[in-house]
Amino acid sequence: MIHPVLPLLLAHAPGEQLAWWQGRSVDREGFLAHVQQIAGELPRRRHAINLCEDRYLFMVSFAAVMVRTQTNLLPANRTSKEIQAMMSDYPDSYCLWDDDIKDRLAETGTGHGHPVPQLAADQVAAIAFTSGSTGRARPNPKRWGGLVTGAQLANQRFGIARHAGGTLVATVPAQHMYGLETSVLLPLVCGIGVYGARPFFPEDIRAALEVVPAPRILITTPAHLWVCVEAGIRWPEVVFIISATAPLGRPLAERAEQVFGAPVLEIYGCTEAGSIASRRTVDGDLWTTYDGVTVDEREGIFYVCGGHLPEPVALNDVLTLYNDRQFVLLGRQADLVNIAGKRASLADLNRKLNEILGVQDGVFIFLNNESDRINRLMALVVAPKLSERQVLAALAERIDPVFLPRPLYKVVSLPRNETGKLPKEAVLALLERLKGGAS
Amino acid sequence: MTPEKVNTAEFSPLELEVARLIVESLNLEDVRPDEIDPEVPLFGEGLGLDSIDALEIALAVSVKYGFQLRSDDSGNTRIFASLRSLSRHIEENRKR
Repeated sequence: MIHPVLPLLLAHAPGEQLAWWQGRSVDREGFLAHVQQIAGELPRRRHAINLCEDRYLFMVSFAAVMVRTQTNLLPANRTSKEIQAMMSDYPDSYCLWDDDIKDRLAETGTGHGHPVPQLAADQVAAIAFTSGSTGRARPNPKRWGGLVTGAQLANQRFGIARHAGGTLVATVPAQHMYGLETSVLLPLVCGIGVYGARPFFPEDIRAALEVVPAPRILITTPAHLWVCVEAGIRWPEVVFIISATAPLGRPLAERAEQVFGAPVLEIYGCTEAGSIASRRTVDGDLWTTYDGVTVDEREGIFYVCGGHLPEPVALNDVLTLYNDRQFVLLGRQADLVNIAGKRASLADLNRKLNEILGVQDGVFIFLNNESDRINRLMALVVAPKLSERQVLAALAERIDPVFLPRPLYKVVSLPRNETGKLPKEAVLALLERLKGGAS
Repeated sequence: MTPEKVNTAEFSPLELEVARLIVESLNLEDVRPDEIDPEVPLFGEGLGLDSIDALEIALAVSVKYGFQLRSDDSGNTRIFASLRSLSRHIEENRKR
């Protein structure tokens, strides 16, 4: 059934914990009071570039922006150029930072009886941006109704609401789709609480799990799961762990289940489609889509539709379909790389490299060596008047730090052939020479 | 990177050890431990490390020095401000 209007909070009863923030519990009344307070103070513009890093402040401001029927803009990265480009593409906008919100929040618990805001299901709650191969960041609008449905599908799959009164602890940023769908939407829709910060080191994660009300669910990524498993820490009890953003290797999943004493589940999705399928990693390679979500293939491209999706969305991976609900992942479509859970288009990275003043020619290279370690990109660049340091600094203004090349080699020329293409063998041969010889 | 030999007298033994730990745990192929300026930022500018590197360094530190790094109020900018500050933090907290 499609509801034209959906409440901001679907399941929390009065007094129930919504967030754990700054050392104490924030209940539904406290959250609603914060949302109303911020909503009342936002500028009157169409778009809010939401750059809050604190999870609770992001949640409050995200909701406040929706209450004002404005749209949250979620940039693909936080580099200065990306934010500048966004402000130029969306001139009727303002930026939201943690300090803007934090300084304005009154003490929790003040103000009672705030009505739960009712939001139009078709209002665009957020636009998530992805770097595409064709230049401008691509907007992916997310309507409030779609986000709610997505959370309900996740609940059907994982049984989140069963653990109402408990807490999600997430290591992922709230402004990327995975973090938004889990650490922001699940609390709003399923009556579970959320840890209001973003724990980083394994010890931080342990401390967060220990302090929040049980039952606890850990929302994380393979990179974080790996260091947690290796850290030799005794972990508080969790009911299960969810991992996403990059495929989780089975050996790591097995070790994690052993170390945490809980099932490790995975979500498959992308910014364009949101979360669409899940599996328990140790059970095997087969993914099952959320209820009502189907996948199919046309001319080599794989599409997902149904569920929370208003229309079919092309996926970035190559799949083997078993039926319209189950599939195995084969790998990425050619242009895309996944570095530590972040996705980039090689064409987009190459364009940004070549835009740098002083760079005459340059190319990013990704050698997939199938190890447990994080594979980094490398780059070759022709830039006689710039040092490696200068090129890297210019890149850092344009791309997420995780994509910075290691190493960046300066060369006299790239081994292009007559048609201007870079044959793979020529590039590999050049890399061998560079690695072996002097820089 | 031009192979200028840095005077190792500028490094305390622990700082050189931590420099080696960073280079090894992160597999920094083109960096020699004694080339890391002890006062230069480890993240962003300077050595150009990112948050994934911070996790791997934390793991290596916990294995070698027997204690867990935890985020401080500065958002870790203090601990990771430089090789020198990281080494000092290790010195203050090491169990091995």
